[in-house]
Amino acid sequence: MIERMLNSDLAKWLDDRSKIVQMTRAHLTDYPTPKNLNYMWSFGSLALTVLILQILSGIFLSMFYKPSAVATIGGYSVAFDSVERIMRDINFGWLIRYMHAVGASAFFFVIYLHLGRGMYYGSYKKPRELLWVIGVVILLIMQGSAFFGYLLPWGQMSYWGAIVITNLFGSIPVVGDFILQLLRGGFGVGDPTINRFFSLHFLLPLVLVAIVVIHIHALHTVHSNNPEGIDISKKDTIPFHPYFTVKDALGVGIFLTIYAYFVFFNPTGWGLFIEPDNFSPANGFQTPSHIAPVWYLTPWYSILRAFPDKLIGVMAMGLSLGLLFLIPWLDRGTVRSARYRPMYRKLVVLFFIAVLVLGYCGHSAPTEALKLIGRIATAVYFAFFILLPFVSKHEKTLPVPKEI
Amino acid sequence: MADNTVDSKRRNFLWGVASGLGAVGAAGVAVPFVSSMMPAADTLAASTTEFDLSSLVPGQLVVIAWQGKPVFVVHRTPGILKRLTGYEHKLKDPESHADPRVEATWMKTSEQRLTRSIKPEYLVLNAACTHLGCIPLFKPSPGRAEWGDSVPADWPGGWHCPCHGSLYDLAGRVIDGSPAPFNLYTVPYKYLADTKILIG
Amino acid sequence: MKYTVLMGALLGLVILFISAQANASEGGPELKHPNISMDRKTLQKGVEVFTEICMGCHSAKYITYRELMDYPEIGLSREAVDELRGENALLTGLITELSPEDAKVSYGKVPPDLSVITRSRAGPDYVYSLMLGFGHDPDGRIPDGHYNTYFPGRNIAMPDPLSWLDHDQEDEADLKEQARTVSSFLAFIAEPHQLQRQAIGRWVILFLVLLSIVLYALKREVWKDIKH
Repeated sequence: MIERMLNSDLAKWLDDRSKIVQMTRAHLTDYPTPKNLNYMWSFGSLALTVLILQILSGIFLSMFYKPSAVATIGGYSVAFDSVERIMRDINFGWLIRYMHAVGASAFFFVIYLHLGRGMYYGSYKKPRELLWVIGVVILLIMQGSAFFGYLLPWGQMSYWGAIVITNLFGSIPVVGDFILQLLRGGFGVGDPTINRFFSLHFLLPLVLVAIVVIHIHALHTVHSNNPEGIDISKKDTIPFHPYFTVKDALGVGIFLTIYAYFVFFNPTGWGLFIEPDNFSPANGFQTPSHIAPVWYLTPWYSILRAFPDKLIGVMAMGLSLGLLFLIPWLDRGTVRSARYRPMYRKLVVLFFIAVLVLGYCGHSAPTEALKLIGRIATAVYFAFFILLPFVSKHEKTLPVPKEI
Repeated sequence: MADNTVDSKRRNFLWGVASGLGAVGAAGVAVPFVSSMMPAADTLAASTTEFDLSSLVPGQLVVIAWQGKPVFVVHRTPGILKRLTGYEHKLKDPESHADPRVEATWMKTSEQRLTRSIKPEYLVLNAACTHLGCIPLFKPSPGRAEWGDSVPADWPGGWHCPCHGSLYDLAGRVIDGSPAPFNLYTVPYKYLADTKILIG
Repeated sequence: MKYTVLMGALLGLVILFISAQANASEGGPELKHPNISMDRKTLQKGVEVFTEICMGCHSAKYITYRELMDYPEIGLSREAVDELRGENALLTGLITELSPEDAKVSYGKVPPDLSVITRSRAGPDYVYSLMLGFGHDPDGRIPDGHYNTYFPGRNIAMPDPLSWLDHDQEDEADLKEQARTVSSFLAFIAEPHQLQRQAIGRWVILFLVLLSIVLYALKREVWKDIKH
């Protein structure tokens, strides 16, 4: 049926004037894809699905949300009131709100698995270095957008999370105070802050769409990696449609089922997606007993906290993200897939475990034991980058198959 | 090896079912989003306004809000009611037939059509002049004694719109010579109790 | 295939761990667990307790008098609502008469609005436990009426609303029921659409499971062409 549509007279008319059919064939229907991709390759299309869900739900929420910290009775604010109005009075407002909150966490869940696939199978190695770099840029923009978004309900966690994170930027030498004022729009976190964070929260996802297009363009220039990590010949590729449209559709179906479970039956995600403290209105005179960023930012927060010196902590956190960019060049090996790199495999799995441990520590109250564990995990995290050049240069790799 | 025909049939069937379910799913997702743009629960709750008529003294007019729009409520005296006849030839639409908006389902008797109200004493009308929407001024006493030249010499009492000079009688019927085309529009209302009405 | 199973198992473990962690209490005494229910009788009794006792100091501004009629789960009659609201318009929220200034003078702090309280604390069980948590300080430091086993720090500014401290045995069942119904009411108003949410959710999950099964069958069918 798709074939019939692409060959129709209307399609030819449009194609003569825009190359739309040619492009659809080249990049969607006939696009050559390795036939041995496993389900770890589904996370890219899932990420795109979530991005669309977030933009859709976000646009509708912004029809009703009011970005104002002006106080209303009961210690609330215009913003908090508008969110409660969405939850109570707007038809299906509660559904759109939960879709957006669960979607934010789903987005990071999917993207971390997508990154993990890249690191495990060597999808960052030549000629895909730029593809990887663009991906890390996407991660950073996502983190920014999520941070701006979390402020918007103007709950206790929103407010104090913003105080802490903006203070971090304030500690950067020379430009710190300037950046702090730019972000906050005033002396503390207040009405100017929430208003500009709303604007930026709306802007970044649209920037993201453009960068995702570039990401896919870069991908299609070098074509997908595969679980074996080898360059494959044309004969081992199959057209994207129907094989991967159908396989990705299955991935989307399973994903939506899990997503719907959370949206309808566990929208606060055991308090991880929407934290209980955020149902208390922001109170500048009362810090909650336990401030932590949302789960998807906790690994980086943990690294920050591992260092007693504030400036070093901030720099370490920045470095932990910045080093991600360098992976394609730190890895000096020639074999791509961890399937054939037993030493690298151990190293990268340790890295994944370190990230999980850092996440757990970042979320919990810092006891002495957890502080120690957090520091060890931080050391393992950075050790990955330090050891990578040596391990990759000197590792014994298993014989790599010639073809799949 | 299964033969190709069976495969095709099964394949097409599965494509069909998958596409069909997909379309149903897409429509299902669209429903809450479109619905969210319809008036919200609190907006709908505010779509009716209650009013206690006993708060009005005879001869008094109030302007109240209904769905954000102004509505006249007048407690007409028996004297006013007696003066509603005798000048039908000066009215553009004495029987309120010219437009659906000037009549109402509750106009069941000829008296109700004349007084343009459910109960004769209480008049409830849309306060916007049917010309261009200004709120006319209430000038209930007949003649020019109170109002001077702003009203004609044979003024029966009613409303005078300051914007372009339209004139209405005390049943909101538009008087000949006014730029306004129609009588003041009705609003849907009903009695909840003897002196309590629900507008909307 | 092995990988997928392994990954899935690992993921499952991580999720189990997370939910166990989240459900574990943050420390402090084990909460009481009443039967929070949202049937009409419980909710209407809860409205009574709330308006007669709690509204002396607390507001619940996101619930209007009109909604006490309009939400079918509560479904109060027009007369009952008219009695409750007095001079207040139907569309006003449940606002207390106690001004923040007076509250500060009498209690030292402003009583929080209770509209979403069960979402910002440890749920309706915490509210229930709190109501019944007034006791005598074993250390003798915190005065009676302010010592509450469940309140963090044990020293609560709110005076014993149900008069639980030193109650007569024969009143116990009634007081517990008041606590149960008002906790249920607060749990309901914190998220009035929760019952609808779950009802719709059942259909959505059913549909998506069906869709996923069909897509799986389609995937297997289409991939028969490929040797993999």
